[in-house]
Amino acid sequence: MADGMYMLAAAAADSVRSYGEFPVIGARAAVWIAAEVHLMFAAFVLGVPMFAVVAEAIGIFGGEARYDRLAKEFTRLLLVAYSATAIWGAILVFLLSTLYPRFWAYLTAVFGPSMWLYAGLFFLESFTLYLYYYGWDRWKYGGSKKVHLGLGVLLNVWGTVVMLIANSWLTYMMSPPRDITSTTDPYSIRLWHAIANATWMPINIHRIIANVVFGGAIVGAYASYRFLAARTDEERAHYDWMGYIGNFIAMSALIVLPFAGYYLGREIYQYDQSMGITMMGGFMSWLWVIQAFLIAVLFLAGNYYLWIGMGRIPGAERYQGYIKYLLIVLVLGAIVWGTPHTMIADSKELAAMGGSHHPLLGALGVMSAKNTAVNLMILATFLSFLLYRRGNKQITVPWAQTGTMIQAAMFAIAAAIVLFYGIRGYFVEAIVRIGFSVYQVLAVLACIIGVTIIDTMMGRGAKTMGEIQWGKMPARSQYALFILAVTFTWLMGLMGFARSGIRQYWHVWQVMEDTSKYAATPALGYASIVISVCVLIFLSLVGFVFWLGGLAEKSTYVPAGKEAQHVGH
Amino acid sequence: MWATNLKVFGVVIGTLLVYTLVCNKIPQMQSEVPVKLALGPNSTSDELVAAGEKVFNGIGGCTACHGLGTRAPNLLTDEKGAGPIGARCGKREAGKDCKAYLYESLDEPAKFVVSGYQPIMPKITAMVPPEQAWALVAFLESQGGTVDVTGADIAKAAPGAAAPAATGGGGGGGGGAGGGFAGGSTDPKAIIKEAGCTNCHKIAGNGGAIGPDLTHVGSRRDAAAIKKKVSDPASDVTKGFENFAGVMPKNFATMMSPAQLDALANYLASQK
Repeated sequence: MADGMYMLAAAAADSVRSYGEFPVIGARAAVWIAAEVHLMFAAFVLGVPMFAVVAEAIGIFGGEARYDRLAKEFTRLLLVAYSATAIWGAILVFLLSTLYPRFWAYLTAVFGPSMWLYAGLFFLESFTLYLYYYGWDRWKYGGSKKVHLGLGVLLNVWGTVVMLIANSWLTYMMSPPRDITSTTDPYSIRLWHAIANATWMPINIHRIIANVVFGGAIVGAYASYRFLAARTDEERAHYDWMGYIGNFIAMSALIVLPFAGYYLGREIYQYDQSMGITMMGGFMSWLWVIQAFLIAVLFLAGNYYLWIGMGRIPGAERYQGYIKYLLIVLVLGAIVWGTPHTMIADSKELAAMGGSHHPLLGALGVMSAKNTAVNLMILATFLSFLLYRRGNKQITVPWAQTGTMIQAAMFAIAAAIVLFYGIRGYFVEAIVRIGFSVYQVLAVLACIIGVTIIDTMMGRGAKTMGEIQWGKMPARSQYALFILAVTFTWLMGLMGFARSGIRQYWHVWQVMEDTSKYAATPALGYASIVISVCVLIFLSLVGFVFWLGGLAEKSTYVPAGKEAQHVGH
Repeated sequence: MWATNLKVFGVVIGTLLVYTLVCNKIPQMQSEVPVKLALGPNSTSDELVAAGEKVFNGIGGCTACHGLGTRAPNLLTDEKGAGPIGARCGKREAGKDCKAYLYESLDEPAKFVVSGYQPIMPKITAMVPPEQAWALVAFLESQGGTVDVTGADIAKAAPGAAAPAATGGGGGGGGGAGGGFAGGSTDPKAIIKEAGCTNCHKIAGNGGAIGPDLTHVGSRRDAAAIKKKVSDPASDVTKGFENFAGVMPKNFATMMSPAQLDALANYLASQK
C-alpha cells in the first residue's frame, strides 16, 4: 500500500513537474537562502541554551548572581529567535514541496516518521523554553532553582535530538548507505538504516561544537552592541565582561573544531574517495583557501581583542612585549595556511604550469606545512589567553619560577614536535604523513592541558596587582567582536555550501539525480553572493531580536563595586 | 546612537563586501553536469582526442590527482625525465603497446601502479562508458605520442561485440555501467576474473596483497556479510588493511546483476 502510494506520488510529480519555478532568483537560490537562514537561527537557538544553562549553573554553584542574570538575558532573546527559526523552517518546507516536489516526495517516503517525531520534539522544546524563561523568577531559590536548571538541561536535550534528526536527512543526501540504489523503493528502506549513514555522526559532533562557537560569537556581538550603546559605566562594565565571556567561549570551542572537521573529512573519504577528492582537490579547491583566510581573520580578531583587553588589566603591561612575536607567528601561520596547493585546472593550464604547484610556493601549500601552521597558531592563541589570564596576578607559590619554566618547556616541546613532524612529512609517503597530524594535535592538546593545570595550581593564593577595569575598553575592540560574529556566520554559510556542493548534480548521492536546470554546482563567486545575502538577512533579523529584547526588559547590568570573575579560574 | 548604529552597519557590510569581492576575484569554476558525448565507429581521431580531453577534465576527475606531483604521476607534463604520458606509455610494459597499456590501466589500475604511488585510482571503465574510455586513451596518446585509437575500437567495445584483443587495445571493458560482468554469467570464477578481484585479493592462493586474502573468507564471513561488504566496501575494514580503506571500488555491486552478486557471495562463502 505504502509502495503504491509512493509510486503514485512520484508518478504524479513526474507527470506534472519535478521542479517548480521561483521568480527572479530561481528555485535553487530560494531554497538555498531559506535553508541557510533557517540553519543559522537553528544554530543560534541550539548554541545559546548551552551557553545559558552553563552560565546559570555557574551562578548557582559559584554563587555569582550576575551569571544567573546573564543566563536569563539570553534566554529572553531565545523566545523571539525560536519563532524566527520556526518561520524559516516552514518557509523551507513550503519551498521544497513546491519547487522540488519529486525530491521532497522521496525524502518524506524515507524519513516520514522521523519528521513527525521532529515536529513533536520541536513542540516539547518550545514549551520547555517557555517554562524555563517564565519560571525563572518563580523558581529562584533552593531546590526549585535546581529543578529550573534541570529544565535548562532538558531544553538542551530536546534541541540536540531535534538537530540529530535534521542532520540525518541532510547526511543521507550526502552518503546514503551503499545498498541503496536509484531503483530502491524508498518505502522499503529501514528508517534507522537511513539515519545511521556514514557522515551522520561526524556531522553531529561537528555541528554541536560549531553551535557553541556560533552561540559565543553572537553573544559577543550582542554584548559589544550594548557596550557601544551603554549610557553608564556600570552598564559598560557589564557588557564588556559579557563580550569577554562570549569571545572566550567562541575561541575555546574554535580550537577544537578543526579536529571535528578532520574526522568529518576522513569519513567522507572513507565513504567515497571521489567525493573526498572533489571536496579537497576538485572544483572546490579554492574554497579551502578562502576558508583559511576566514579562519586567519578569526584568529587575528580574537587575539587582537585579548591584547587590547590587557590594557584594562593592571600588571598586564609586563607581557605587552610578547605580543609582537605572537602576531608574527599568527600572520606567518595565516600566510602558510592560505597558500594554495591543489588547484583544479584544465589540461592546458596544467601543462603551462608544469603541474598545478607554484614552483616556489607549492612547498608551503602541502598538508605538512598547513598542519604545522595551524597548530602553531593554536599554541600562539593559547599563549595569548594565558598572558591575559595572568595579567594582574602576582604568583606567590614558592615554586613559581620552576612552574613557569616547566610551562615554557611544554610550549617549546609542543612547538618542536609540531615542527619536527611538519618537516618530516616532506620525506614520507602520503599515507604516513596523514598519521603525523595526529601526533601534532596530541602534542598541542597535551601542552594546553598540562600548562592549564600548572597555571591553576600556581594561581592559588596569588596576589592581585589591581582589579580588572571592566568597561575601560576602546570602541575598536568591540568592532573586533562584530567582525568575529560576521566571519563565523559567513564561514558557516561557506562550509554549508561545501558540504552540500560535493554532491554535485545529485539530490541524493548516486541515488537520485538532479535533473533541473540548476543541477550544476555554482562557482564560488555566485555562492559568496548568496552566502552574504543569507548572513545579512540573519544578522538584520538578529539585530531586530536584540532590539526587541531591549524593549522587553531592562538590561541586566551589574551594580557598581562588584568585580566579575574570570572564566577559567 | 545613530552614529553607533551606522558604524556597526558599516563594519558588517564592509566585512561582507570584502569576503564577497575576494571570492569573485579568484578563478571561477562551476561543477558541470557531465555531458553525453556522441561518439561511434565513424568518429575521427581528432574527435576522439577532443572528447577525451573533456572526459579528462570533467567526469573522469583525472586532474584531481594527475599532474599534482604527489598523488599520481604527471600525465600531461614530464614525469621523472620520461616525458608526458603519450611519449612513455609504449615503454611502460614489455610487449604492450601504448594503446593497450593505457586502456588496461584504466580498466585494471591496480595492476599498473607506478612505483612510489598508492593504489588509489578507481576503475575508470566502470565510471564511464566504453566510448569515453577510448576517447580518454586517444587524448592521453596525443600528449607527446601518436594517436592510433579509431572508431573501430569503440565498435569493438560496444555491447554485444567481442572484447578487444589485448594487443589491439586492452582487455575486456569490464561490466560497464550495469551490464554485468562476463556477459552476465553467474559462474563465480568468471565474475572474479572479469571483475579483477585478484588484482588485490588472493583467492585460492593466487592474487595480489593489497586487500585481505579471500582463500578462506568463508570461515570469517557468511554469504550475507560478503554481499554487504561487496556492496559497501567501507562498511567495515579488515584489521591490518586500514591503510587501504577506500581503495576497493564501491560500485562493484552495481555492475553485477543480483543473480551474479548472489553467485559470487555464495562461492566466496564456501571458501572455508
